[in-house]
Amino acid sequence: MSQYFEQLLADPTSFHDAPYDEAFKLTIEQIERLHLEGARKRFAQLRPGLSVLDKLAREQGIEMIEKIDDIAPLLFPHTVYKSYPISYLERSRFDKLTKWLGGLTTTDISNVDATGIESIDDWLDLLDAETPLTVAHTSGTTGKLSFVPRTKEQWTQTIVHSAIIIRDWWGRNSGPDILKNKIPIIIPGYRYGAAATQRGNGIQIDIYAGGEENALFMYPDARFSADVASLAGRLRAAEARGEAGIQDIPQVLLDRRESLLALEKRRPEDVRHFFDEAQRRFGGKDVYVTAMWAILFDWAEEGLKRGIKNIFGPGSVLLTGGGKKGKDMPDDWREQVLEFLGFSNFYEMYATSEMMGLCMMCEHGNYHIPPVIVPFLLDPATGKPLPRKDGTTGRFAGLDLMPNTYWAGLITGDEITLSGWEKPCACGRTGPHVVPPVRRYSEKEGGDDRIVCAGAPEAHDRALEFLAELSM
Amino acid sequence: MTEPFRVPLIIRGEIIDDAEIEHGGRRGGVSFHAPDIAKHIARLPLRTPSQMADLYALSFDDILDYLVELGPRLDFGQNRHVQEAFRLSCITSGLSESILRHHYSHLGAMFDRTEMTRMMERSCGIDYLEGWVDQGPSMFTGLSARTRAFGARCVHVIAGNAPIVSILTVIRNALTRSDAIIKLPSNDPLTAVALVRTMVEMAPDHPITRHISVAYWKGGDEAIEAAIYDPRGVEKIIAWGGFDSVKHITKYLQPGIDLITQDPKLSGTIIGKEAFADEATIRSVARRLALDVGAQNQEGCVSARVIYVETGTDEEGLERANRLGELTFAALQKLPEHLSTPHKAFDHALKEEIAAVRLQDEEYRLFGGRDNEGAIIVSQEEYPVDFSRQLACRVGNIVPIDTVETAVRSVNAYTQTVGIFPEALKAKLRDRLAFQGAQRIVSLGGAATMQHNMEKQDAIEPVRRMCKWVTEESADGAMLEALAG
Repeated sequence: MSQYFEQLLADPTSFHDAPYDEAFKLTIEQIERLHLEGARKRFAQLRPGLSVLDKLAREQGIEMIEKIDDIAPLLFPHTVYKSYPISYLERSRFDKLTKWLGGLTTTDISNVDATGIESIDDWLDLLDAETPLTVAHTSGTTGKLSFVPRTKEQWTQTIVHSAIIIRDWWGRNSGPDILKNKIPIIIPGYRYGAAATQRGNGIQIDIYAGGEENALFMYPDARFSADVASLAGRLRAAEARGEAGIQDIPQVLLDRRESLLALEKRRPEDVRHFFDEAQRRFGGKDVYVTAMWAILFDWAEEGLKRGIKNIFGPGSVLLTGGGKKGKDMPDDWREQVLEFLGFSNFYEMYATSEMMGLCMMCEHGNYHIPPVIVPFLLDPATGKPLPRKDGTTGRFAGLDLMPNTYWAGLITGDEITLSGWEKPCACGRTGPHVVPPVRRYSEKEGGDDRIVCAGAPEAHDRALEFLAELSM
Repeated sequence: MTEPFRVPLIIRGEIIDDAEIEHGGRRGGVSFHAPDIAKHIARLPLRTPSQMADLYALSFDDILDYLVELGPRLDFGQNRHVQEAFRLSCITSGLSESILRHHYSHLGAMFDRTEMTRMMERSCGIDYLEGWVDQGPSMFTGLSARTRAFGARCVHVIAGNAPIVSILTVIRNALTRSDAIIKLPSNDPLTAVALVRTMVEMAPDHPITRHISVAYWKGGDEAIEAAIYDPRGVEKIIAWGGFDSVKHITKYLQPGIDLITQDPKLSGTIIGKEAFADEATIRSVARRLALDVGAQNQEGCVSARVIYVETGTDEEGLERANRLGELTFAALQKLPEHLSTPHKAFDHALKEEIAAVRLQDEEYRLFGGRDNEGAIIVSQEEYPVDFSRQLACRVGNIVPIDTVETAVRSVNAYTQTVGIFPEALKAKLRDRLAFQGAQRIVSLGGAATMQHNMEKQDAIEPVRRMCKWVTEESADGAMLEALAG
């Protein structure tokens, strides 16, 4: 125990393959020490190489981390990872985008020559090829893509980390050890792409499945294109500039919008093929499935409609999360998904794409924050940190100590309640945990029929609606 | 703790205030109680058009007399309904107490006889409201015609960002001799109630009082809306608001219902190079620009958000744009408090965008934006910020341009007002701005502070469209009979 603690204290990144159950046996004093010393260490280590963090520290006048709340003003608003102007994309200024990204990572990418690059996909491929980074982008449903400069090494660590969680979450070695024993992986999504959900695919195929032949994807040959994902934001930015902007939309982007509509037409066929393959190649076998609940529900609903259920073996595992995502799902959605899949061993998480750590749901329905994530609740009005008192509700923010090349300190848009500071969860795990529900502030403030005269209604675009469904 | 607000249902003079249902969780954590509309729904629409007759026993002057008498009764110091609406608005509105106090202290000003007469003269013509107006000769010899503007049975789905919306609705309904059901917005459910309650107290049996109803129901409530949006009881719907608010309504559209939409709009500014002629001019332009951005706390569709300035985009040009940004921000901080104050509920998403801009100093120069004082963001290239449609809470974005062409072409159908400096540039650009989509083109500083001919609203003339333009024709009987062969 003590050695485990000493190791985390010396190197929080080592948490990724350390026994996961141990993390929730630490005393609250140990957790608090880990938070403070870890935050100090990361801040001192990253600040000199991260111009954006340095700027924020100077703005806030913070030189030293005396107490844990000193970190709160140094957490990035989530907009930082998408603070580049969209006009860089319109004007193919990927050299400027590279420079922008360079301010967010200590990894040196100044060698990259992005002149001549015209699409985000090509830019991401270039970074993949010429730097230690495999940049992940967000889904873009809000209109603008975030780019998170995670390294190749960190991606491997996150995939190993998920396997350790599956092995140890319900007790040491309680789950299958998918690092040791290869397991087929089933993903109802794209095989390729740079969105956070696709970045791990190749690594999972390698280290969980042991090869492509042991993996099944809904779209086995297709790439979830960052340029397509960015469509909504770019069209919106263009429209805000009126005629001038509309004329600037590159033809390639408009073509991609068309291809999206073509993909939508083909979807029923792809779905049917996916079902056939799942049954034919993996029916009755123990598999690893991962996808967000909303995607799984679509798949399950379609399957149950066709009379397909209990597809996979009882020793299978599911890693999932994400809740309803605004979708209209019946109250028994979890049950329907599990009935369709044919097993009940699922691991449900709450996570943000900028952090490496995951918060897993326990048998009492709470999400446990691992000790390498320093959580904060901020007052939604003032942004000031709230006291570490059980049952406190506020805006969730956190610093993940695992990433050692970029600042994983971020303010989210989620309203959550935290407990576990004073009294551990009824499941026995120590440390802070999120008590559901998790709510988006944006949904909360939307109101019902607040009507104002200011605003710009947007024309509804079928292609973009489909994109929103795809990128859940 | 907030006091419990009650929003009564008023049906043609009858006040129902049993507060049976709680509607909660609105901005500022406020909730209010209102009657169960479902129980009274059958009586809301005016199913029998013959009941419109009483309005035609009134002359236009009678209607003016009524409204002119109503104005002083809305005195903020005396009228407890107005006071209550003010108290609730202080919680739900984006406007600060000082600005709201100014609005509520001047509710009566709109009930000015001369102004109301001019408004109706411009929009409909008072002779058309008062009687049948001869239409002159026809292509058919012997055929003559007379047209008169009649009121209609309308539902008004009103916006709640400023009390003026409720006032205009009441005035327009009376002067066009229409029957109104006002669907109250959750962000200001009491101002229209205060007006109509005062009408009931002043003249409970007067036809104008008997032709206005106010009700709150949750927008989108199908059981209620299906019963109300029925062409047997409603001829026109005047809907303010955006996609969601109008989407509910489009479900019920069918022949016999005319929808007049008053979409949300955004406004902007174009400043020509003349603004930088000398220091005194820059300062004066900055003060006027601060008004367009800051007045009414930028809560209105008329408020300026993106400001194109013809400074050029070379180093000197950027310096001029930055200087204007600095002076405008300073002027914004000095606006009188009945016009503008730091925003009391600064939009959090916008604050996050500004925080990121602060760390991105190569692309943007930022003045202010630390707390809720507002900000001027100066782009350092010819592009507005990516969140330009979210600009609010007294945050403007100055965009330097090489030629005003760029600004003209940015104007589209969602553009409401364009403030321009200097006047000569306005005259030069107004035709082009109009066909780009702009609807109101004003002197810099006049976007959100004063307004002429408000009845033209968004260039769609809603007052004129609220009326039914009925024609009566005469032809010689023998001539008609001859057509039968």
